[in-house]
Amino acid sequence: MSDMSDRQGDIERFVQNTEGKVYSRRVFFGMCAALGVAPVAARLSPAMADQKELVLVNWGGDAVRGMKASFVDPYVKKFPDRKVAIDGTGPSTSRIRLMVQSGKVTWDIMDRNLHTALEIGPEGMLEKIDYSVVDKSKVRPEHAVEWGIGNYLYAMVLTYNTKKWGGEVPTSWKDVWDFKKFPGKRAFRREPDAVLEAALMADGVPFDKIYPIDMKRALDMHKKMKEHAIYYTVIADGQNAFRNGEVHLGQLLNTRAWPLKQDTKGLYDWTWNEGVSWGACWMVPKGAQGGKAIWDFIAMTQDPQAQAELLKSNGYGPVNPEASKFLDADWNKVNPGAAENYAKMLPGGIEWYAKNATAARQQLIDALSS
Amino acid sequence: MPSQSDTPTGWRPRHGVYWLIIMPALAMLVLLYLVPLADVLVTSVTDPKPGLDNFLLLFTSTSVQKTLLTTLRIAALTTFVALLLGYVVAYAMRAANSSQQRLMLFCVLLPFWISVLVRSFAWIALLSSRGPVNAGLMAWGLIDEPLPLVRNETGVLIGMVHVMLPYAVLTLYANMRGIDVRLVAAARSLGASRFQAFRMVFLPLTRPGLIGAGTLVFILSLGFYVTPALLGGGKVLMIAEYVAVQINDTLRWGLGTMLATTLMLSVLAALWALSRVLDVKRLFGA
Repeated sequence: MSDMSDRQGDIERFVQNTEGKVYSRRVFFGMCAALGVAPVAARLSPAMADQKELVLVNWGGDAVRGMKASFVDPYVKKFPDRKVAIDGTGPSTSRIRLMVQSGKVTWDIMDRNLHTALEIGPEGMLEKIDYSVVDKSKVRPEHAVEWGIGNYLYAMVLTYNTKKWGGEVPTSWKDVWDFKKFPGKRAFRREPDAVLEAALMADGVPFDKIYPIDMKRALDMHKKMKEHAIYYTVIADGQNAFRNGEVHLGQLLNTRAWPLKQDTKGLYDWTWNEGVSWGACWMVPKGAQGGKAIWDFIAMTQDPQAQAELLKSNGYGPVNPEASKFLDADWNKVNPGAAENYAKMLPGGIEWYAKNATAARQQLIDALSS
Repeated sequence: MPSQSDTPTGWRPRHGVYWLIIMPALAMLVLLYLVPLADVLVTSVTDPKPGLDNFLLLFTSTSVQKTLLTTLRIAALTTFVALLLGYVVAYAMRAANSSQQRLMLFCVLLPFWISVLVRSFAWIALLSSRGPVNAGLMAWGLIDEPLPLVRNETGVLIGMVHVMLPYAVLTLYANMRGIDVRLVAAARSLGASRFQAFRMVFLPLTRPGLIGAGTLVFILSLGFYVTPALLGGGKVLMIAEYVAVQINDTLRWGLGTMLATTLMLSVLAALWALSRVLDVKRLFGA
């Protein structure tokens, strides 16, 4: 999820890594990140020599604690002679490329998304998923690809102020583009994924006709939108714009809309309707040293109960539909993977983004800039 | 580097010692600054393939041209406003007594010590639709709807002028301090009105200060990154952020380094042009 690789995240990560609650290795990784040291420098860490230890790279913050409790602890319990270290510095595409091309692959498992797997897998950056150990049937068909297997779900959802329009609330993107009925500032992310889809839905395009995306049509909609909206680059900044009353409706990550609702005691809420759901996934860098242990670990993270626990710790939606059974009605309301919520959303077009993400991002930025 | 003229002739043979002393700093500069800079220059003509294709984009890509124009427009506006406000402050400082001067200097320098990031977030809080500025204006009944002061080009300008103001004030003040006030008095005694004395005597004498401060502010404004990114609401794209997008997201390093090179060359060209009209060393107090 490149969406979290922002500066705010670096700072959060660094704070987390130096609070003293963590083992020295993560401090080291954190300092590398804070100092901007290239990831290859991490091989200087003496712990790297430990072949039995897997290195899982995710995006830091609560995800370090959450994944440790839900995924790593049960794994280490089952295989007491194995170890897993979590490095929260974020497997961005440029870092993966740098590591694989340098030939010193120190990571084993990376937390990223399916469209990146489809984008860089064919370039030879990733190992193919070993589906003899990992179970494809535990996820929906759209969440298993050759180079990546879904590990949790997230969604970009319509988030709104519940009191601003006298009891009326927006329920579709058409409402968000209706500046008369719902006056007030909007917020979107300055990234193409889900932002273009929302524009097309507002223009009346049905779910099954969204892909391939008609760029001109989507960007024309955003040209009408831009004077009414802010386009945030840092997700925390977008969340903040809602919280301090600067914006009243727009698109936000479900894992941010949920704490926003709690922080404001329900002043803000979100709807799953016309949300865009995305599969985060495990990817393995080409030349990873962990061997079979990698696949054993990934297979264990498919356990529905473990995924249900992860949702409770930081809002990451279970990718295994079975997990809903381990959650009560209240928890399933915030679960993007619950059948009724998932059905309301558009599954993000990973094949389209694997081919077009870079060009689409540039075109969106150009269209928005004054 | 000690200049030759400052050194008594008898000491010349010892120059080697000075060189030794500055060697570590020089080596660090070459290693950590010039080598990466050379790498940037080389990348701009070799990625994705050797040649000047990246530089051609300056003439062919509307996306690049739009960003350059936005950058120039905002830098020019920032320079204009910063000079206008800075001139007034510098003029007042010149006329004030020494304790007032110290206080004013302190107030001008205060923002220097606060991070640009913190200042940008502070502006967002102050200028947003529910911020104290809009709330105050509405409470006084001056406006009915909150003014769009931030997350747009206005916000970027306010933030950038704030950062640039000390540069304008200090440069102008240094220049004004060197002007003989008796010249204005002389003009008055010869029958010029206050305004005439200012316009025909004082203002022309501050021309070097205006040119110097203007160039300095303009050059620094060209490279702004954090302020437009935060205060522009994602809609004001200046060249530095455009470079960052190319390096981090679209991974078109050739394009990114080409723009960085272009920016650097423009700055050098502006400094060269400045050096033709002014003694740059004296202007910056060297």
